[in-house]
Amino acid sequence: MSSLLILLFCIPPVGISLTFFVHRGRILFLLSLGVVLLDVVCLLIGAGGLPGCLPMQTAGGWFYLDALSAWHLLVMLLVFTTGSVFALGYFRDDLVTGRLAVTAARRYNQLWLGSLWTMTLTLLANNIGLMWVGMEATTLVTAFLISVYPKPVAIEAMWKYLIICSVGIAFAFIGILLVAASLPTTGEGSQQLFWTQLSTAGGYNLLLLKAAFLFSLLGFGTKAGLAPMHTWLPDAHSQAPGPVSAMFSGFMLNAALYCIMRHGAIVNHALGSDQFTSRLYILFGLISIVVSAAFILYQRDIKRLLAYSSVEHLGIITLGLGLGPAGCFASLLHTLNHSMGKSLSFFAAGRLGQLYGSHEIRRIRGAIHSAPLWGIALAVGLLALVGVAPFSIFISEYVLVRAAIDRQAGVVLVIFLLGISVIFVAVLRHLMPMIWGEGKTLPEKSCSTSAVIVVISLLGLLLFFGLYLPLPIQGFLSRAAALIGGLS
Amino acid sequence: MSFFLFLLVLTNLTLLGSSRLAFCIHTVALQGVVLGLIPLVGLQPLTIQHGILSLSAVVLKGGVFPWLLLRSLRVARIKREVEPFIGFNVSLSIGFFALIGSVVFASNLPLGDTKDSLIIALAIFTMVTGLLLLVSRRKALSMVLGYLVLENGIYGLGTVVADHIPMVVEFGVLLDVWVAVFGMGIAMYQINREFDHTDVDRLTELKG
Repeated sequence: MSSLLILLFCIPPVGISLTFFVHRGRILFLLSLGVVLLDVVCLLIGAGGLPGCLPMQTAGGWFYLDALSAWHLLVMLLVFTTGSVFALGYFRDDLVTGRLAVTAARRYNQLWLGSLWTMTLTLLANNIGLMWVGMEATTLVTAFLISVYPKPVAIEAMWKYLIICSVGIAFAFIGILLVAASLPTTGEGSQQLFWTQLSTAGGYNLLLLKAAFLFSLLGFGTKAGLAPMHTWLPDAHSQAPGPVSAMFSGFMLNAALYCIMRHGAIVNHALGSDQFTSRLYILFGLISIVVSAAFILYQRDIKRLLAYSSVEHLGIITLGLGLGPAGCFASLLHTLNHSMGKSLSFFAAGRLGQLYGSHEIRRIRGAIHSAPLWGIALAVGLLALVGVAPFSIFISEYVLVRAAIDRQAGVVLVIFLLGISVIFVAVLRHLMPMIWGEGKTLPEKSCSTSAVIVVISLLGLLLFFGLYLPLPIQGFLSRAAALIGGLS
Repeated sequence: MSFFLFLLVLTNLTLLGSSRLAFCIHTVALQGVVLGLIPLVGLQPLTIQHGILSLSAVVLKGGVFPWLLLRSLRVARIKREVEPFIGFNVSLSIGFFALIGSVVFASNLPLGDTKDSLIIALAIFTMVTGLLLLVSRRKALSMVLGYLVLENGIYGLGTVVADHIPMVVEFGVLLDVWVAVFGMGIAMYQINREFDHTDVDRLTELKG
């Protein structure tokens, strides 16, 4: 069973080395999809016995999987699968016309699989230092995905991303050093900085450990796009090609937040209460929601709007982490829901941007007539993102509100509701003319089968989880939420 | 040992007050070498693993990085940092205050004994220098140097608490820094090709 972890870690690099032998653009994208699907199949075969044998570790404890990382692994594979399928249609025209050369396509797919690899490492690493190594590698690998088409603006975005996130992540490493420094010098068991040992060890220097958490929160928070460290995010998300934006928003931010959750669990355990981390989670969550609301209100570019919406939703997830077990449950559910909604919206925005030749909101008009599939996808995606029932984001936000009421966090609740109401109105105002407005008619273009599959499956999942959350999943999420709390 | 620590202070102050980029690259390289050697000359009894790690750090920071950076300097055809946001004299003064501040701060930290506290102080000073370079300079290359100095400071901090950090992680970190510098080099090349300059403050197309 534990060989599953090794397998998951080894599949992407094998895929990367195979790309060197492929000389047709289309096949390269199919290869990527194949590798991701192989990952999915491995996980599905393992999944039958998975809930029973979690947590599991292998390779001398270096690889570790529990409910929390397994949940993130599922979300990651969902995002990568839909992204790989969507990429087939998204890049098809450019491959035919030669705008995307075979060498560029090869580099794209190598980096795409590289991102999968580094994120898998982040999720499977038991050692918090190795987790950091994975996260920093993610920055380096994904940076060049932004400038697959080397336009000046894309390069500007890539540069900002590379510098800001590298410096941010360097701060997170100070956090890890401080965790190491806060350990008692005599404890044999925690010598290797394994999370499994850190989250049960005792005798920490609490002051240093608190400082360590601050550094982690600021450092990984930069990568997770929490305001006010989010400045790289709208640039990078708006300039990257569609599938890459979806992967950034849909999972990379969550991977950074996952690292924060792990650190928070250690701190909660050592302090014996979640008060310290809760306050910080709530603070950064609310700042992110308020800041993103202000920027969404006056946004002119659809992809930037979606990027700020990511700041908002990561803020919501972070807020939930500060609201006790029920809040953590809501956060984890929201992670999945946001990733689905955001992937769908970024796919639609990316494709509509290609069709209209611009991502400016005022240039995209009447999408439902000129490109029905993508018009519907964008409309539903954005409606789901602002929390309209019956889509699943409504459910997770509802659970979060309940958690806030139970904790009697009145002020927090008011700010949260105000923030998402402003965003609701602002997004609808932008959305209406884009979908139903009068606009120039575009030349007829047939939709590829891959596009139809992606849109229908994401729509179906958003609707399904909005109407029904199976009991096994609820139980699984409760277990993962308890791990974030770190108090059990 | 004290000679190495003295060199560390000197390299930081030199970086803050110098405008010639090639000279700065060499200074950062020297700093990397000094930091790589500190575990060898002082601190705990030396193991083979520590030796290998120090050696790789020295080769990477003293040899590979300056080679990569000097190359991109030639490609971009620039020589100096002109008109930084914070002038050289002012940065130098801030540097002196930061040095005093770090020493005071580190002596109050509940970390290790007094022998380590000086290394910690200088590590913090190095990090502050790196951040100062990052926010105050215009050229892309200066930012890369700032990042490297920050990373050097963190490495210095790491040498004090390093017994908790497993070897694999240390090598992973080195590998990441290497790829980062490599990536930033390519990024600088692309900026230069698309914009015909590498003034980062003039990259202002994206906002809002």
